[in-house]
Amino acid sequence: MAELDISAPRSMRRAGVFATLLLIGFIGAFIYLGFTLVEESPEYMTRSGAASYGVVYDRSGDVLFDGTKALSSYPSGHFADIGNVIGDTSGQMKNTLVARNMEELANYSFMYGKGSGKTSLKTTLSHAANTAVYKAFGKKNGTAIAYNWKTGEVLVCVSKPSVDPAAGYANIDKLAEGSLLCKAFLPTVPGSTQKVSTLLAAYETMGVDAVNKTEYNCTGSWLNASGQRINCHESKGHGKQTLQKAFENSCNPYFAQLVQSDKLPLSRIIETYTRMGYSVNGAAADTLEMNGIRISAASTTLKDAKDFDTQWGCLGQGTTLVSPFQLMLWEGAIANQSGIAVMPNMLSEKTDVSGAVTLLPTPGKTGQMFTAEAAAAANAVMTENVKKNYSALVKYKCGVKSGTAQITDGGKEYENSLLAGFSADDRCPVAFCILIEQYKKGEVTTAQIAKTMLDKIAALK
Amino acid sequence: MAVSKTISHPFLLLLVLIAHTVMLLLVALSFGFTTEVLKIGCYILTADLVGSIVLQFVHRESCTVDTVMLLVMGMSTIYQSCFGGLQFALRHFLFGIGAFIMCQISYLLVRNPYRAEKLKPLWYICFFLLVGAIFALTGSRGIWIDLGFITLQPSEFVKPVFVLIAASSISTQLHKKTLWGIHFVPDNLMLILCTVVIAGLQWYCRDLGSLPTFVAVAGCGMLLRFYYLREKMSFRLIVFLAVCAVGAGIAAWNLAPAYVQERLHTNIWADMSGSGYQQVKALVAIAEGGWFGKGAGNGTLHNVAASNTDIVFSSICEEWGLFTGMMTVILVLFLPMSMLAVPPRSYYHSGLAIGVAAVIMVQMTLNIFGSCNLIPFTGVTLPFISQGGSSMLSCGILAGFLKAAQAPVLTQKKKAAA
Repeated sequence: MAELDISAPRSMRRAGVFATLLLIGFIGAFIYLGFTLVEESPEYMTRSGAASYGVVYDRSGDVLFDGTKALSSYPSGHFADIGNVIGDTSGQMKNTLVARNMEELANYSFMYGKGSGKTSLKTTLSHAANTAVYKAFGKKNGTAIAYNWKTGEVLVCVSKPSVDPAAGYANIDKLAEGSLLCKAFLPTVPGSTQKVSTLLAAYETMGVDAVNKTEYNCTGSWLNASGQRINCHESKGHGKQTLQKAFENSCNPYFAQLVQSDKLPLSRIIETYTRMGYSVNGAAADTLEMNGIRISAASTTLKDAKDFDTQWGCLGQGTTLVSPFQLMLWEGAIANQSGIAVMPNMLSEKTDVSGAVTLLPTPGKTGQMFTAEAAAAANAVMTENVKKNYSALVKYKCGVKSGTAQITDGGKEYENSLLAGFSADDRCPVAFCILIEQYKKGEVTTAQIAKTMLDKIAALK
Repeated sequence: MAVSKTISHPFLLLLVLIAHTVMLLLVALSFGFTTEVLKIGCYILTADLVGSIVLQFVHRESCTVDTVMLLVMGMSTIYQSCFGGLQFALRHFLFGIGAFIMCQISYLLVRNPYRAEKLKPLWYICFFLLVGAIFALTGSRGIWIDLGFITLQPSEFVKPVFVLIAASSISTQLHKKTLWGIHFVPDNLMLILCTVVIAGLQWYCRDLGSLPTFVAVAGCGMLLRFYYLREKMSFRLIVFLAVCAVGAGIAAWNLAPAYVQERLHTNIWADMSGSGYQQVKALVAIAEGGWFGKGAGNGTLHNVAASNTDIVFSSICEEWGLFTGMMTVILVLFLPMSMLAVPPRSYYHSGLAIGVAAVIMVQMTLNIFGSCNLIPFTGVTLPFISQGGSSMLSCGILAGFLKAAQAPVLTQKKKAAA
């Protein structure tokens, strides 16, 4: 036997290089896997239904959801007013605060495991105010949402009919339609509250003074350039009016003539609407989000300024849809007279599984939706409207615009009543939107609900 | 000599004994000092000692591979004995011993590169016999052969044979032939042919899970051949090969049959009780285990199919924690990594070692990353850890190749004088 060197050092070193590359690749991927597993483990637990959950509190420590014990152990109806806003972990409602923040609320961490933690979320809501507003609706259905336009804190969010999570879902088939949805986040026909958007577009395009001085005649019915009629709710007509008067009267012919006017090109209305977040003529618009809750963007169709459908859309009827949340948001930007709104936020604090409390960051502000000048002018018009027509709200330095949405639903026609506005009172600096479905004269009004809401908010510490 | 780089054998044995003892104490913490715990302890610690004594007589140069094997086999036996309750995994233990023996046998078989290369026709015969067996004996396009007392998975044994085929010596590479004016190396053509055959067979069996492993071995073998005598690595060639690999990957992704496409695009969270069931359970088990686990025997993943084979990493993480799970994987990685600490000393053994590294790392990738939903779930075993005789014995053979690469016998019989 003789020993022979059959080595080829360079080639063998290259084998080492290949092996090293394989190792580096594997170890790199393995480290990534480790990070991914640790990072996503709360998601695995929540998505698989294996996690236990913590507690959701209102701003003063009242329980809004409790994952640590049966909800039925709370007094009957305790969760009724926030059932479809806060939600639960049953999976029946997808667009609620709990459903969208299950990972944050999971009583689980990779370090501590599940079930032994102290996880909780503190909301900005006032359960007391919420309950009062819920009760103020009486037998009527609808929604009410209000937020502090200075801080972004959502204080009230009610949607009727609601569901009481404590009662469970054994009779889910018997729940009233819409019980599992918060209507504040869903698009609805805005009625004449839309005239605020149209007014803002006019202010931006024509200038505040020019718009305020513009006069149109209302005879109760107006024939547009296409030979189509726009009727006023006041069949006898309002006569010749300025902008302020037409706004207070919510006069359809006035605003339709404004839309048809050469001084207000449709392209400029579309431009302002788009900045405000509308999806105009099918164009893409960003879906709004608040603490994970998704809110559909407003939408409308504006094709021809001389056409009935376009004018009707600018008056808040027809194909125009806006969520009460977004109406409230715009009111926030009018209230602060900047054209920029503080984004609404429903969560203020998070306590993690180890008990460490973290103040959650505020979500910031919107972009410049309309000019500060337009915002200030709209603020003045709306405030004047309250002084003339809403004596109950004057003490809260409110500005509002009401609206009546004409709804056709499965052949059935009815009207929804809306009120969008703000309060400049330091005790309750809120922007709000209230909607009463299938409103009939003599029933509770949006203004009465607004007053109840403001009373409660002003009384908050 | 490589001996100077190795750690002393008694010290390594001590480490193995300490590691196993600590694990057994942790088991005792969960179950108490029961008869079963003592039984497991006796078997494993005795195996450690006997294995070490045997190694003293077999070869002392290459204790790295053997020691890591002893350590990993003992650990995996403890894991397998605890899943969902304490019961000594005797079958797994015995296959572990079998793997250890196979390691020594394969080492003796290939430690001399000259002899191993001369035996190449035998490897080809073994390869085609195994392929033929899979083709002829397995029913319903399955890949298992049921012998009654034992169920074999011949495709597992194809892996070490394929590694032997992928390795080549310089003399073989210099042996070129010319046909129609084209120069070629017959050995390289055979490697390509074998790769095509195994790919075709896997396609036929509708089980492409191991295909990446074979492709990786063939790829490493070919790369080593491309570069065996070149002075410099050609950048253009590397780019060309990378483009080819990416192109082949894209083509395979798009041309994969429907059942593979389904796996490639499975959203496990959308079908938690169907096609995503195993992976969802595996991920939740890891999440519930956290860093340090629920404790030996306290897991629930044993109720899920393939908990001790295809998703064994999650089972370990659930009971022992992610930290231990990751350490175990790194420990298994020590086997292919050993070729960096003690480099192969012949070109042939380089090919063997890189082939083994490819098999181990690709299989670990497929098993761990597949069960954790980072790549499609293919259902292959985790080397040395998963339960399964064929896989264990095959891994033992591969470990023997690594050992041969570290402690070769580089002698050749002199030709008789004229």
